[in-house]
Amino acid sequence: MDTCFPMKRRNNLLFSVFAVILLILFLLPLYWTLVTSLKTEQEIFQIPPTLWPTTLNTKSYAAQLEMGDFNMFQSFGNSMVIALSAMGIAVLLSVPAAYAVGRYRFKGKKLIVLCFLVTQMLPVSVLLTPMFIIFKNMQLISNWLSVILADATIGIPFSILILKNYFASIPNELEDAAEIDGCNRVSAFFRIFIPITIPGIVVCAIFSFLYAWGDLAYGMTLIQKQPLRPITAGIFNFLGQYGTKWSYLTAFAIVTIIPVAIIFLCMQKYIITGLTAGAVKG
Amino acid sequence: MGAIRKLVRSDRIAYLFVAPALLYMLLLVGYPILYNIVLSVQNVTVKNINSGEHIFVGLDNYIRLFQNGILSQSTVNTLVFTIACIIVQFLLGLLLALFLNRYFTAAKFVRGMMMMPWMIPMTVTALMFKFMFSTNVGIINQMLLALGLIVSPIDWLTSPVTAMIAVITANVWVGIPFNMILLTVGLTTIPAELYESASIDGANGWKSFRHITLPLLKPTIESVLVLGFIYTFKVFDLVFVMTNGGPVNATQLLSTYSYKLSFSLFKYSDGAAVANVLFVILLIASLIYLKFTYADEEGK
Repeated sequence: MDTCFPMKRRNNLLFSVFAVILLILFLLPLYWTLVTSLKTEQEIFQIPPTLWPTTLNTKSYAAQLEMGDFNMFQSFGNSMVIALSAMGIAVLLSVPAAYAVGRYRFKGKKLIVLCFLVTQMLPVSVLLTPMFIIFKNMQLISNWLSVILADATIGIPFSILILKNYFASIPNELEDAAEIDGCNRVSAFFRIFIPITIPGIVVCAIFSFLYAWGDLAYGMTLIQKQPLRPITAGIFNFLGQYGTKWSYLTAFAIVTIIPVAIIFLCMQKYIITGLTAGAVKG
Repeated sequence: MGAIRKLVRSDRIAYLFVAPALLYMLLLVGYPILYNIVLSVQNVTVKNINSGEHIFVGLDNYIRLFQNGILSQSTVNTLVFTIACIIVQFLLGLLLALFLNRYFTAAKFVRGMMMMPWMIPMTVTALMFKFMFSTNVGIINQMLLALGLIVSPIDWLTSPVTAMIAVITANVWVGIPFNMILLTVGLTTIPAELYESASIDGANGWKSFRHITLPLLKPTIESVLVLGFIYTFKVFDLVFVMTNGGPVNATQLLSTYSYKLSFSLFKYSDGAAVANVLFVILLIASLIYLKFTYADEEGK
Protein backbone atom coordinates (compact mmCIF):
# COMPACT_ATOMS: atom_id res chain seq x y z
CA MET A 1 0.00 0.00 0.00
CA ASP A 2 2.97 2.28 0.59
CA THR A 3 3.17 3.07 -3.08
CA CYS A 4 -0.42 4.24 -3.37
CA PHE A 5 0.29 7.83 -2.52
CA PRO A 6 3.77 8.73 -3.65
CA MET A 7 4.62 12.03 -2.02
CA LYS A 8 6.53 14.82 -3.65
CA ARG A 9 10.07 15.02 -2.35
CA ARG A 10 9.68 18.50 -0.94
CA ASN A 11 6.51 17.54 0.88
CA ASN A 12 8.11 14.39 2.19
CA LEU A 13 10.92 16.42 3.73
CA LEU A 14 8.52 19.00 5.14
CA PHE A 15 6.28 16.38 6.71
CA SER A 16 9.23 14.47 8.12
CA VAL A 17 10.77 17.55 9.71
CA PHE A 18 7.45 18.56 11.23
CA ALA A 19 6.88 15.03 12.59
CA VAL A 20 10.32 14.94 14.18
CA ILE A 21 9.72 18.33 15.81
CA LEU A 22 6.43 17.01 17.22
CA LEU A 23 8.22 13.94 18.52
CA ILE A 24 10.88 16.03 20.26
CA LEU A 25 8.24 18.21 21.91
CA PHE A 26 6.30 15.15 22.95
CA LEU A 27 9.27 13.45 24.55
CA LEU A 28 10.50 16.61 26.26
CA PRO A 29 9.48 15.45 29.76
CA LEU A 30 11.83 12.48 29.39
CA TYR A 31 14.69 14.67 28.22
CA TRP A 32 14.08 17.12 31.03
CA THR A 33 14.17 14.32 33.61
CA LEU A 34 17.41 12.96 32.19
CA VAL A 35 19.26 16.31 32.15
CA THR A 36 17.98 17.18 35.62
CA SER A 37 19.39 13.95 36.99
CA LEU A 38 22.80 15.01 35.66
CA LYS A 39 22.76 18.54 37.09
CA THR A 40 23.92 19.77 40.47
CA GLU A 41 21.27 20.90 42.95
CA GLN A 42 22.29 24.57 42.47
CA GLU A 43 21.98 24.31 38.74
CA ILE A 44 18.49 22.80 39.00
CA PHE A 45 17.34 25.89 40.91
CA GLN A 46 19.01 28.28 38.48
CA ILE A 47 16.76 30.81 36.71
CA PRO A 48 16.47 30.76 33.76
CA PRO A 49 16.95 26.98 33.66
CA THR A 50 19.84 25.55 31.68
CA LEU A 51 18.89 23.31 28.78
CA TRP A 52 21.70 20.83 29.50
CA PRO A 53 24.04 20.40 32.48
CA THR A 54 26.86 22.96 32.44
CA THR A 55 28.79 20.79 34.87
CA LEU A 56 28.12 17.11 34.53
CA ASN A 57 27.12 15.69 37.90
CA THR A 58 26.81 11.92 38.26
CA LYS A 59 26.79 12.06 42.06
CA SER A 60 23.01 11.64 42.17
CA TYR A 61 23.47 8.13 40.84
CA ALA A 62 26.53 7.25 42.89
CA ALA A 63 25.05 8.62 46.12
CA GLN A 64 22.14 6.21 45.88
CA LEU A 65 24.47 3.34 46.62
CA GLU A 66 25.01 4.66 50.13
CA MET A 67 21.50 5.86 50.92
CA GLY A 68 20.65 3.06 53.35
CA ASP A 69 16.90 2.56 53.28
CA PHE A 70 16.51 4.13 49.87
CA ASN A 71 19.19 2.18 48.10
CA MET A 72 18.10 2.60 44.50
CA PHE A 73 20.04 -0.36 43.15
CA GLN A 74 18.72 -2.61 45.88
CA SER A 75 15.14 -1.75 44.99
CA PHE A 76 16.03 -2.17 41.32
CA GLY A 77 17.07 -5.73 42.14
CA ASN A 78 13.89 -6.31 44.16
CA SER A 79 11.79 -5.15 41.22
CA MET A 80 13.73 -7.43 38.86
CA VAL A 81 13.09 -10.51 40.99
CA ILE A 82 9.42 -9.62 41.49
CA ALA A 83 8.74 -8.75 37.84
CA LEU A 84 10.60 -11.76 36.42
CA SER A 85 8.80 -14.14 38.78
CA ALA A 86 5.40 -12.65 37.99
CA MET A 87 6.26 -12.92 34.31
CA GLY A 88 7.21 -16.58 34.75
CA ILE A 89 3.94 -17.43 36.47
CA ALA A 90 1.90 -15.53 33.89
CA VAL A 91 3.55 -17.26 30.92
CA LEU A 92 3.46 -20.74 32.46
CA LEU A 93 -0.25 -20.50 33.22
CA SER A 94 -1.49 -18.59 30.23
CA VAL A 95 0.15 -20.57 27.42
CA PRO A 96 -1.75 -23.82 28.08
CA ALA A 97 -4.95 -21.93 28.92
CA ALA A 98 -4.77 -19.93 25.68
CA TYR A 99 -4.12 -23.16 23.77
CA ALA A 100 -7.27 -24.66 25.26
CA VAL A 101 -9.57 -21.73 24.50
CA GLY A 102 -7.93 -21.10 21.13
CA ARG A 103 -8.17 -24.64 19.74
CA TYR A 104 -10.87 -26.59 21.54
CA ARG A 105 -14.62 -26.52 21.80
CA PHE A 106 -15.84 -27.34 25.25
CA LYS A 107 -18.69 -26.55 27.58
CA GLY A 108 -18.31 -23.30 29.51
CA LYS A 109 -15.61 -21.95 27.19
CA LYS A 110 -17.50 -18.75 26.46
CA LEU A 111 -17.98 -18.04 30.14
CA ILE A 112 -14.31 -18.70 30.88
CA VAL A 113 -13.18 -16.33 28.12
CA LEU A 114 -15.63 -13.71 29.40
CA CYS A 115 -14.16 -14.04 32.90
CA PHE A 116 -10.66 -13.40 31.58
CA LEU A 117 -11.91 -10.42 29.56
CA VAL A 118 -13.57 -8.84 32.56
CA THR A 119 -10.62 -9.42 34.91
CA GLN A 120 -8.37 -7.72 32.39
CA MET A 121 -10.38 -4.53 32.82
CA LEU A 122 -10.60 -4.61 36.60
CA PRO A 123 -8.64 -2.02 38.51
CA VAL A 124 -5.99 -2.94 41.03
CA SER A 125 -7.72 -0.61 43.53
CA VAL A 126 -10.70 -2.96 43.82
CA LEU A 127 -8.53 -5.90 44.84
CA LEU A 128 -6.15 -4.04 47.11
CA THR A 129 -8.03 -4.05 50.41
CA PRO A 130 -9.25 -7.67 50.28
CA MET A 131 -5.88 -8.90 49.07
CA PHE A 132 -4.12 -7.09 51.87
CA ILE A 133 -6.32 -8.77 54.48
CA ILE A 134 -6.11 -12.18 52.83
CA PHE A 135 -2.32 -12.05 52.65
CA LYS A 136 -2.16 -10.65 56.16
CA ASN A 137 -4.09 -13.66 57.43
CA MET A 138 -1.66 -15.89 55.55
CA GLN A 139 1.28 -14.03 57.15
CA LEU A 140 2.56 -13.13 53.69
CA ILE A 141 2.79 -9.36 54.15
CA SER A 142 6.34 -8.15 53.42
CA ASN A 143 6.97 -11.44 51.69
CA TRP A 144 7.76 -11.22 47.98
CA LEU A 145 5.45 -14.15 47.29
CA SER A 146 2.37 -11.98 47.93
CA VAL A 147 3.34 -9.25 45.50
CA ILE A 148 4.52 -11.74 42.88
CA LEU A 149 1.21 -13.61 43.06
CA ALA A 150 -0.73 -10.34 42.88
CA ASP A 151 1.30 -8.89 39.99
CA ALA A 152 0.85 -12.03 37.90
CA THR A 153 -2.93 -11.51 37.93
CA ILE A 154 -2.42 -8.49 35.64
CA GLY A 155 -0.42 -10.41 33.05
CA ILE A 156 -2.46 -13.62 32.90
CA PRO A 157 -5.74 -12.44 31.31
CA PHE A 158 -3.85 -10.19 28.89
CA SER A 159 -1.60 -13.06 27.81
CA ILE A 160 -4.42 -15.55 27.41
CA LEU A 161 -6.44 -13.19 25.23
CA ILE A 162 -3.47 -12.41 22.98
CA LEU A 163 -2.25 -15.98 22.66
CA LYS A 164 -5.73 -17.34 22.07
CA ASN A 165 -5.75 -15.64 18.66
CA TYR A 166 -2.26 -16.95 17.85
CA PHE A 167 -3.30 -20.53 18.59
CA ALA A 168 -6.60 -20.16 16.76
CA SER A 169 -4.85 -18.96 13.60
CA ILE A 170 -2.71 -22.09 13.22
CA PRO A 171 -4.17 -24.23 10.39
CA ASN A 172 -5.79 -27.54 11.33
CA GLU A 173 -3.73 -29.39 8.71
CA LEU A 174 -0.68 -28.95 10.89
CA GLU A 175 -2.34 -30.72 13.77
CA ASP A 176 -3.58 -33.48 11.50
CA ALA A 177 -0.09 -34.00 10.12
CA ALA A 178 1.28 -34.18 13.63
CA GLU A 179 -1.29 -36.82 14.54
CA ILE A 180 -0.28 -38.95 11.58
CA ASP A 181 3.31 -38.70 12.76
CA GLY A 182 2.23 -40.19 16.06
CA CYS A 183 1.77 -37.06 18.15
CA ASN A 184 -1.10 -37.04 20.58
CA ARG A 185 -2.61 -33.76 21.67
CA VAL A 186 -0.29 -33.24 24.58
CA SER A 187 2.87 -33.88 22.62
CA ALA A 188 1.51 -31.84 19.70
CA PHE A 189 1.08 -28.94 22.11
CA PHE A 190 4.74 -29.07 23.11
CA ARG A 191 6.27 -30.01 19.76
CA ILE A 192 4.09 -28.11 17.29
CA PHE A 193 2.08 -25.37 18.92
CA ILE A 194 4.53 -23.86 21.36
CA PRO A 195 7.36 -23.43 18.82
CA ILE A 196 5.00 -21.75 16.33
CA THR A 197 3.62 -19.32 18.88
CA ILE A 198 6.99 -18.17 20.26
CA PRO A 199 6.54 -14.59 18.92
CA GLY A 200 3.21 -14.35 20.73
CA ILE A 201 4.70 -15.79 23.89
CA VAL A 202 7.44 -13.15 23.72
CA VAL A 203 4.79 -10.40 23.54
CA CYS A 204 3.07 -11.85 26.61
CA ALA A 205 6.31 -12.20 28.52
CA ILE A 206 7.24 -8.57 27.77
CA PHE A 207 3.88 -7.22 28.87
CA SER A 208 3.65 -9.38 31.98
CA PHE A 209 7.10 -8.12 32.95
CA LEU A 210 6.22 -4.49 32.24
CA TYR A 211 2.94 -4.65 34.20
CA ALA A 212 4.76 -6.04 37.22
CA TRP A 213 7.67 -3.62 36.81
CA GLY A 214 5.35 -0.62 36.73
CA ASP A 215 3.14 -1.70 39.61
CA LEU A 216 3.08 0.60 42.61
CA ALA A 217 -0.15 -0.26 44.43
CA TYR A 218 0.56 -3.93 45.21
CA GLY A 219 4.23 -3.31 45.89
CA MET A 220 3.75 -0.63 48.50
CA THR A 221 0.70 -2.21 50.15
CA LEU A 222 1.80 -5.82 50.38
CA ILE A 223 5.46 -5.09 51.14
CA GLN A 224 5.81 -2.91 54.21
CA LYS A 225 9.57 -3.12 54.72
CA GLN A 226 11.43 -0.55 52.66
CA PRO A 227 14.53 -2.72 51.91
CA LEU A 228 12.25 -5.33 50.30
CA ARG A 229 10.12 -2.94 48.30
CA PRO A 230 10.15 -2.63 44.51
CA ILE A 231 11.67 0.44 42.90
CA THR A 232 8.36 2.20 42.23
CA ALA A 233 7.50 2.11 45.92
CA GLY A 234 11.04 3.27 46.65
CA ILE A 235 10.52 6.35 44.49
CA PHE A 236 7.26 7.09 46.22
CA ASN A 237 8.78 6.86 49.69
CA PHE A 238 11.75 8.91 48.65
CA LEU A 239 9.42 11.55 47.26
CA GLY A 240 7.64 11.73 50.60
CA GLN A 241 10.86 12.18 52.58
CA TYR A 242 13.11 14.21 50.30
CA GLY A 243 10.42 15.88 48.22
CA THR A 244 12.61 18.59 46.71
CA LYS A 245 15.83 16.69 46.17
CA TRP A 246 15.11 16.66 42.48
CA SER A 247 18.56 15.50 41.34
CA TYR A 248 18.17 12.28 43.34
CA LEU A 249 14.51 11.87 42.43
CA THR A 250 15.11 12.23 38.71
CA ALA A 251 18.07 9.84 38.90
CA PHE A 252 15.74 7.35 40.58
CA ALA A 253 13.24 7.88 37.76
CA ILE A 254 15.86 7.33 35.06
CA VAL A 255 17.07 4.09 36.63
CA THR A 256 13.46 2.86 36.74
CA ILE A 257 12.99 3.67 33.07
CA ILE A 258 16.19 1.95 31.89
CA PRO A 259 14.82 -1.61 31.57
CA VAL A 260 11.64 -0.26 29.98
CA ALA A 261 13.63 1.79 27.48
CA ILE A 262 15.87 -1.16 26.60
CA ILE A 263 12.87 -3.43 26.05
CA PHE A 264 11.15 -0.69 24.08
CA LEU A 265 14.06 -0.03 21.75
CA CYS A 266 14.90 -3.69 21.13
CA MET A 267 11.40 -5.06 20.86
CA GLN A 268 9.35 -2.19 19.49
CA LYS A 269 7.70 -4.38 16.87
CA TYR A 270 6.51 -6.90 19.44
CA ILE A 271 5.24 -4.17 21.72
CA ILE A 272 3.13 -2.49 19.08
CA THR A 273 1.67 -5.87 18.06
CA GLY A 274 0.82 -6.54 21.67
CA LEU A 275 -0.72 -3.17 22.30
CA THR A 276 -2.98 -3.26 19.29
CA ALA A 277 -3.93 -6.93 19.46
CA GLY A 278 -4.56 -6.79 23.17
CA ALA A 279 -6.59 -3.64 23.22
CA VAL A 280 -8.67 -3.80 20.06
CA LYS A 281 -9.52 -7.45 19.84
CA GLY A 282 -9.33 -8.26 23.51
CA MET B 1 -4.04 -46.36 30.88
CA GLY B 2 -7.09 -46.65 28.65
CA ALA B 3 -8.82 -43.83 30.46
CA ILE B 4 -5.84 -41.51 30.08
CA ARG B 5 -5.56 -42.28 26.39
CA LYS B 6 -9.24 -41.55 25.97
CA LEU B 7 -8.91 -38.24 27.77
CA VAL B 8 -5.90 -37.26 25.66
CA ARG B 9 -7.91 -37.89 22.50
CA SER B 10 -11.08 -36.07 23.54
CA ASP B 11 -11.81 -32.38 23.64
CA ARG B 12 -12.24 -32.57 27.37
CA ILE B 13 -8.49 -32.41 27.80
CA ALA B 14 -8.94 -28.68 27.25
CA TYR B 15 -10.16 -28.42 30.84
CA LEU B 16 -6.81 -29.71 31.99
CA PHE B 17 -5.01 -27.02 30.05
CA VAL B 18 -7.22 -24.18 31.16
CA ALA B 19 -7.64 -25.26 34.80
CA PRO B 20 -4.40 -23.91 36.33
CA ALA B 21 -4.92 -20.38 35.00
CA LEU B 22 -8.61 -20.43 35.81
CA LEU B 23 -8.05 -21.62 39.37
CA TYR B 24 -5.32 -19.04 39.85
CA MET B 25 -7.59 -16.22 38.75
CA LEU B 26 -10.52 -17.50 40.78
CA LEU B 27 -8.40 -17.62 43.92
CA LEU B 28 -6.52 -14.36 43.43
CA VAL B 29 -9.16 -12.23 41.71
CA GLY B 30 -12.56 -13.91 42.09
CA TYR B 31 -12.23 -14.59 45.79
CA PRO B 32 -10.94 -11.08 46.65
CA ILE B 33 -13.85 -9.52 44.72
CA LEU B 34 -16.35 -11.54 46.75
CA TYR B 35 -14.44 -10.89 49.95
CA ASN B 36 -14.48 -7.19 49.14
CA ILE B 37 -18.28 -7.23 49.01
CA VAL B 38 -18.40 -9.00 52.38
CA LEU B 39 -15.93 -6.51 53.86
CA SER B 40 -17.99 -3.57 52.66
CA VAL B 41 -21.03 -4.64 54.68
CA GLN B 42 -19.02 -5.26 57.85
CA ASN B 43 -17.20 -2.94 60.23
CA VAL B 44 -13.59 -4.04 59.87
CA THR B 45 -10.98 -1.49 60.97
CA VAL B 46 -7.45 -1.78 62.27
CA LYS B 47 -8.86 -2.27 65.78
CA ASN B 48 -10.82 -5.43 65.14
CA ILE B 49 -9.04 -6.88 62.13
CA ASN B 50 -7.28 -9.56 64.14
CA SER B 51 -10.07 -10.35 66.60
CA GLY B 52 -12.47 -11.74 64.03
CA GLU B 53 -15.46 -10.03 65.67
CA HIS B 54 -16.82 -8.48 62.53
CA ILE B 55 -20.38 -7.21 62.76
CA PHE B 56 -22.71 -7.16 59.79
CA VAL B 57 -23.78 -3.55 59.24
CA GLY B 58 -25.68 -3.81 55.97
CA LEU B 59 -25.40 -0.81 53.68
CA ASP B 60 -24.47 1.56 56.53
CA ASN B 61 -20.96 2.12 55.21
CA TYR B 62 -22.23 3.11 51.79
CA ILE B 63 -24.91 5.42 53.20
CA ARG B 64 -22.54 7.10 55.65
CA LEU B 65 -19.83 7.56 53.02
CA PHE B 66 -22.23 9.08 50.52
CA GLN B 67 -23.66 11.36 53.20
CA ASN B 68 -20.32 12.74 54.34
CA GLY B 69 -19.80 14.06 50.84
CA ILE B 70 -16.29 12.91 49.99
CA LEU B 71 -17.51 9.79 48.20
CA SER B 72 -19.83 11.86 46.02
CA GLN B 73 -17.05 14.36 45.42
CA SER B 74 -14.63 11.57 44.48
CA THR B 75 -17.16 10.12 42.06
CA VAL B 76 -17.64 13.51 40.40
CA ASN B 77 -13.88 14.11 40.34
CA THR B 78 -13.28 10.72 38.74
CA LEU B 79 -15.87 11.50 36.07
CA VAL B 80 -14.45 14.97 35.39
CA PHE B 81 -10.92 13.58 35.23
CA THR B 82 -11.96 10.71 32.96
CA ILE B 83 -14.07 12.72 30.55
CA ALA B 84 -11.56 15.56 30.23
CA CYS B 85 -8.76 13.06 29.60
CA ILE B 86 -10.70 11.08 27.01
CA ILE B 87 -11.72 14.16 25.03
CA VAL B 88 -8.25 15.68 24.89
CA GLN B 89 -6.33 12.48 24.28
CA PHE B 90 -8.79 11.29 21.68
CA LEU B 91 -8.67 14.52 19.66
CA LEU B 92 -4.88 14.81 19.80
CA GLY B 93 -4.49 11.08 19.19
CA LEU B 94 -6.76 11.29 16.15
CA LEU B 95 -4.86 14.26 14.69
CA LEU B 96 -1.56 12.44 15.16
CA ALA B 97 -2.93 9.20 13.73
CA LEU B 98 -4.23 11.01 10.62
CA PHE B 99 -0.98 12.92 10.19
CA LEU B 100 1.32 9.92 10.68
CA ASN B 101 -0.85 7.73 8.50
CA ARG B 102 0.41 9.64 5.45
CA TYR B 103 3.32 8.07 3.65
CA PHE B 104 6.43 10.08 4.41
CA THR B 105 9.83 8.84 5.44
CA ALA B 106 9.79 9.61 9.16
CA ALA B 107 6.17 8.59 9.79
CA LYS B 108 6.73 5.05 11.00
CA PHE B 109 9.71 5.92 13.15
CA VAL B 110 7.95 8.85 14.82
CA ARG B 111 4.82 6.80 15.44
CA GLY B 112 6.88 4.06 17.05
CA MET B 113 8.85 6.41 19.28
CA MET B 114 5.68 8.15 20.40
CA MET B 115 4.59 4.93 22.09
CA MET B 116 7.30 5.45 24.68
CA PRO B 117 5.18 7.26 27.32
CA TRP B 118 2.76 4.37 27.31
CA MET B 119 5.47 2.00 28.54
CA ILE B 120 6.86 4.12 31.35
CA PRO B 121 5.76 3.18 34.87
CA MET B 122 3.01 5.57 36.00
CA THR B 123 4.95 6.35 39.15
CA VAL B 124 7.77 7.76 37.05
CA THR B 125 5.39 9.73 34.83
CA ALA B 126 3.83 11.18 37.97
CA LEU B 127 7.23 12.15 39.32
CA MET B 128 8.27 13.80 36.04
CA PHE B 129 5.11 15.89 35.88
CA LYS B 130 5.25 16.73 39.56
CA PHE B 131 8.69 18.14 38.90
CA MET B 132 7.61 20.04 35.79
CA PHE B 133 4.55 21.49 37.54
CA SER B 134 6.37 22.45 40.73
CA THR B 135 5.99 26.11 41.65
CA ASN B 136 9.59 27.30 41.88
CA VAL B 137 11.73 24.98 39.78
CA GLY B 138 9.05 23.73 37.42
CA ILE B 139 9.80 24.20 33.74
CA ILE B 140 6.14 24.93 33.01
CA ASN B 141 6.07 28.01 35.23
CA GLN B 142 9.47 29.07 33.86
CA MET B 143 8.22 28.86 30.30
CA LEU B 144 4.98 30.70 31.03
CA LEU B 145 6.93 33.43 32.83
CA ALA B 146 9.43 33.74 30.01
CA LEU B 147 6.63 34.04 27.48
CA GLY B 148 4.98 36.69 29.64
CA LEU B 149 1.75 34.71 29.94
CA ILE B 150 1.83 34.88 33.73
CA VAL B 151 3.41 37.45 36.05
CA SER B 152 4.04 35.24 39.05
CA PRO B 153 4.52 31.46 39.38
CA ILE B 154 1.32 29.38 39.62
CA ASP B 155 0.96 26.95 42.54
CA TRP B 156 -0.16 24.19 40.18
CA LEU B 157 -0.38 21.28 42.55
CA THR B 158 -1.62 23.12 45.61
CA SER B 159 -4.66 24.93 44.20
CA PRO B 160 -7.79 22.90 43.44
CA VAL B 161 -8.49 23.70 39.79
CA THR B 162 -4.88 23.81 38.61
CA ALA B 163 -4.11 20.54 40.41
CA MET B 164 -6.84 18.85 38.40
CA ILE B 165 -5.45 20.40 35.20
CA ALA B 166 -1.99 19.10 36.09
CA VAL B 167 -3.06 15.50 36.68
CA ILE B 168 -5.18 15.56 33.52
CA THR B 169 -2.19 16.84 31.53
CA ALA B 170 0.04 14.06 32.84
CA ASN B 171 -2.53 11.40 32.09
CA VAL B 172 -3.19 12.74 28.60
CA TRP B 173 0.53 12.40 27.87
CA VAL B 174 0.15 8.68 28.43
CA GLY B 175 -3.23 8.45 26.72
CA ILE B 176 -2.28 10.11 23.42
CA PRO B 177 -0.07 7.28 22.14
CA PHE B 178 -2.66 4.73 23.19
CA ASN B 179 -5.42 6.50 21.24
CA MET B 180 -3.11 7.16 18.31
CA ILE B 181 -2.05 3.55 17.83
CA LEU B 182 -5.58 2.15 18.07
CA LEU B 183 -6.92 4.75 15.65
CA THR B 184 -4.02 4.04 13.29
CA VAL B 185 -5.00 0.38 13.21
CA GLY B 186 -8.55 1.45 12.39
CA LEU B 187 -7.33 3.76 9.61
CA THR B 188 -5.31 1.04 7.90
CA THR B 189 -8.46 -1.05 7.46
CA ILE B 190 -10.03 1.62 5.24
CA PRO B 191 -9.31 0.65 1.63
CA ALA B 192 -7.23 3.22 -0.27
CA GLU B 193 -9.41 2.78 -3.37
CA LEU B 194 -12.21 4.60 -1.60
CA TYR B 195 -10.12 7.73 -1.32
CA GLU B 196 -8.95 7.41 -4.91
CA SER B 197 -12.45 7.19 -6.33
CA ALA B 198 -13.56 10.00 -4.04
CA SER B 199 -10.78 12.25 -5.30
CA ILE B 200 -11.83 11.50 -8.87
CA ASP B 201 -15.29 12.69 -7.86
CA GLY B 202 -13.66 15.84 -6.54
CA ALA B 203 -13.84 15.09 -2.81
CA ASN B 204 -10.63 15.87 -0.96
CA GLY B 205 -9.43 16.88 2.47
CA TRP B 206 -12.25 17.64 4.85
CA LYS B 207 -14.92 16.18 2.56
CA SER B 208 -13.27 12.78 2.27
CA PHE B 209 -12.56 12.81 6.00
CA ARG B 210 -16.17 13.63 6.77
CA HIS B 211 -17.74 11.14 4.35
CA ILE B 212 -15.24 8.27 4.21
CA THR B 213 -12.86 8.26 7.17
CA LEU B 214 -15.27 9.17 9.92
CA PRO B 215 -18.09 6.72 9.10
CA LEU B 216 -15.71 3.83 8.45
CA LEU B 217 -13.73 4.61 11.59
CA LYS B 218 -16.84 4.67 13.76
CA PRO B 219 -16.47 1.16 15.25
CA THR B 220 -12.85 1.90 16.14
CA ILE B 221 -13.78 5.26 17.63
CA GLU B 222 -16.47 3.68 19.77
CA SER B 223 -14.18 1.04 21.17
CA VAL B 224 -11.32 3.52 21.70
CA LEU B 225 -13.60 5.80 23.70
CA VAL B 226 -15.07 3.07 25.88
CA LEU B 227 -11.66 1.50 26.41
CA GLY B 228 -10.27 4.95 27.23
CA PHE B 229 -13.03 5.38 29.78
CA ILE B 230 -12.17 2.06 31.43
CA TYR B 231 -8.43 2.71 31.56
CA THR B 232 -8.79 6.30 32.77
CA PHE B 233 -11.53 5.68 35.30
CA LYS B 234 -9.32 3.28 37.23
CA VAL B 235 -6.17 5.45 37.28
CA PHE B 236 -4.53 5.29 40.67
CA ASP B 237 -0.72 5.57 40.74
CA LEU B 238 -0.53 8.78 38.75
CA VAL B 239 -2.81 10.85 40.95
CA PHE B 240 -1.69 9.15 44.14
CA VAL B 241 1.93 10.15 43.52
CA MET B 242 1.29 13.60 42.02
CA THR B 243 -1.27 15.04 44.46
CA ASN B 244 -2.41 12.18 46.72
CA GLY B 245 -5.95 13.41 46.13
CA GLY B 246 -5.22 16.92 47.37
CA PRO B 247 -5.44 19.78 47.87
CA VAL B 248 -8.40 19.07 50.19
CA ASN B 249 -9.82 16.26 48.03
CA ALA B 250 -9.81 18.43 44.89
CA THR B 251 -8.24 15.58 42.90
CA GLN B 252 -9.51 12.75 45.09
CA LEU B 253 -10.56 9.89 42.80
CA LEU B 254 -12.51 6.80 43.79
CA SER B 255 -9.29 4.77 43.59
CA THR B 256 -7.21 7.15 45.74
CA TYR B 257 -10.06 7.66 48.22
CA SER B 258 -10.46 3.90 48.67
CA TYR B 259 -6.73 3.61 49.28
CA LYS B 260 -6.76 6.46 51.76
CA LEU B 261 -9.61 4.91 53.76
CA SER B 262 -7.98 1.48 53.86
CA PHE B 263 -4.32 2.28 54.24
CA SER B 264 -4.04 5.75 55.80
CA LEU B 265 -7.11 5.67 58.04
CA PHE B 266 -7.16 1.85 58.37
CA LYS B 267 -10.94 1.68 57.87
CA TYR B 268 -10.88 -1.42 55.71
CA SER B 269 -14.63 -1.79 55.35
CA ASP B 270 -15.01 1.81 54.20
CA GLY B 271 -12.17 1.34 51.72
CA ALA B 272 -13.87 -1.79 50.41
CA ALA B 273 -17.18 0.05 50.01
CA VAL B 274 -15.58 2.80 47.93
CA ALA B 275 -13.73 0.20 45.85
CA ASN B 276 -17.07 -1.48 45.16
CA VAL B 277 -18.54 1.74 43.79
CA LEU B 278 -15.56 1.86 41.42
CA PHE B 279 -16.03 -1.83 40.62
CA VAL B 280 -19.69 -1.53 39.69
CA ILE B 281 -19.13 1.43 37.37
CA LEU B 282 -16.21 -0.30 35.65
CA LEU B 283 -18.06 -3.58 35.33
CA ILE B 284 -20.88 -1.83 33.50
CA ALA B 285 -18.39 -0.05 31.21
CA SER B 286 -16.56 -3.33 30.54
CA LEU B 287 -19.74 -5.13 29.59
CA ILE B 288 -20.69 -2.27 27.25
CA TYR B 289 -17.25 -2.50 25.67
CA LEU B 290 -17.50 -6.26 25.25
CA LYS B 291 -20.89 -5.89 23.65
CA PHE B 292 -19.44 -3.41 21.15
CA THR B 293 -16.42 -5.48 20.18
CA TYR B 294 -17.91 -8.92 20.29
CA ALA B 295 -21.30 -8.19 18.77
CA ASP B 296 -20.02 -8.93 15.27
CA GLU B 297 -17.73 -11.75 16.30
CA GLU B 298 -20.65 -13.80 17.60
CA GLY B 299 -21.65 -14.64 14.07
CA LYS B 300 -18.42 -16.55 13.38
